[in-house]
Amino acid sequence: MWKEKAGENRYSSIKMTLLPWKRVDRRSGPQTSAFEDLAMPLLPSLYNVAFWLCRNGTDAEDLVQETFLKALRGFASFEPGSNFKAWIFRILRNTFLTSRTGLAAQRTVALEDELSGSEDGHAIYPEAAIDRQTPEMNLMLLADRAALQAGMETLAPPLLEVILLADVEELKYREIAAVLDVPMGTVMSRIARARAALRAALQTPPSPSNPPKEVRA
Amino acid sequence: MSEHLNDELLNALADGELTAEQLAAANEHLAQCAACTSNALFQSLLKSATARAGQRYAMPAQLQERMARMVKGQNAPQQASRLGVWGFTGWAAAAVLLLVFGSIFVFERNAQQVAVVSSESAALVTEACDQHVATLAGDAPPQVISSDRHTVKPWFQGRIPFSFNLPENLPADTKLEGADLTYLHSQPAALLLYSIGKHRVSVFVLQRLSGALPSDVSAEHSGFHVDGFNTRDLEVFAVSDVDPGRLAGLIGAIEQVQDGRGQAK
Repeated sequence: MWKEKAGENRYSSIKMTLLPWKRVDRRSGPQTSAFEDLAMPLLPSLYNVAFWLCRNGTDAEDLVQETFLKALRGFASFEPGSNFKAWIFRILRNTFLTSRTGLAAQRTVALEDELSGSEDGHAIYPEAAIDRQTPEMNLMLLADRAALQAGMETLAPPLLEVILLADVEELKYREIAAVLDVPMGTVMSRIARARAALRAALQTPPSPSNPPKEVRA
Repeated sequence: MSEHLNDELLNALADGELTAEQLAAANEHLAQCAACTSNALFQSLLKSATARAGQRYAMPAQLQERMARMVKGQNAPQQASRLGVWGFTGWAAAAVLLLVFGSIFVFERNAQQVAVVSSESAALVTEACDQHVATLAGDAPPQVISSDRHTVKPWFQGRIPFSFNLPENLPADTKLEGADLTYLHSQPAALLLYSIGKHRVSVFVLQRLSGALPSDVSAEHSGFHVDGFNTRDLEVFAVSDVDPGRLAGLIGAIEQVQDGRGQAK
């Protein structure tokens, strides 16, 4: 499904700048305590998303550790009262993009005609294909957690990350847009494409020629 | 609203992102369109199913502990360096003092009893042991945190006037944790931080200028095991309290790749 295109980069437009969470006030002790209070509860979520992105535990641990270190060092620029979760997930995501795994993911891009439509949000999966499913069949499909996870593994990184942020981390569209540094419209179209792809994956049982990807523990 | 709801509207509905007006219009349409109602239900169920399926990977307990230590380590005064952690806690300072003076005492006794190493190499080993102790007591994160040798090795470019290789394949239960730039004998050295199980290992790599170390370093120092090797250009030795055999395994793996044997650089 995925093909490499030398020189193309789906993340090329992403800037490594921090969003308006600026505050220049360097205090070490109380700040670190505040950081601990805000960041430690998010550790399991950060690790979960990191594992999804890296596809293995060792890289995920490195990614989380580096994210924490960067966040800690840059905490003085975090604006109190703004969304810390979006802020630290943005650091995680930017750190991933500059990691070896992330760079490899950037080099692996999907052909547009295979990526279920364009950024304008028009899915290639016909509505009729959806309407054929009865509510009972839909419930049976959605109960298959392994099939859904296998479907998530086949998503392109830009679609996987948006679905993780929207569904698993329950971020709002504007927060996701801030994390990914893309317009809200792009978030909406990516979510639509990701869910359409998941829906198609659920309706297409894995075959020997198209098995789900293996994920190293 | 008479037209069918498109994908983005259905998704925004499932995500709770519609404005009040959009929601009212969508509900009006859903009340009279079974197909869109079915799709909206599916999107909502898909969202909740994805949320459950996405919660897949449980964090290792040791990562939680490591991150907690790292955050707490940042509470130390900014000026506290790896060698200046005396004030970090009373216990740490006492431990460092005890180990430093103890190591000097043991060194002197060993020097009298067994003339295995020269006074210069013993001083180097003492200094390295002190740094190892300071690293353990300081608990501050390394300057470069990575288990990836392709990240750690390039980090030293421009920081030290020599280069070295790191092994890809390590003995069982051994992991590269990161690295620091340090100074031994007033010369820059790479301090590689490994863990073997729960034991921490400091591996020092420095340029072989003085030939302070014998060609095959193996010593006991303040209860720490010291093991190492020399190449034509490098002096490499490790300090840890881990079993000497396992320390030798790590040193052997590092030695094996210094001349490129069995390992791409």
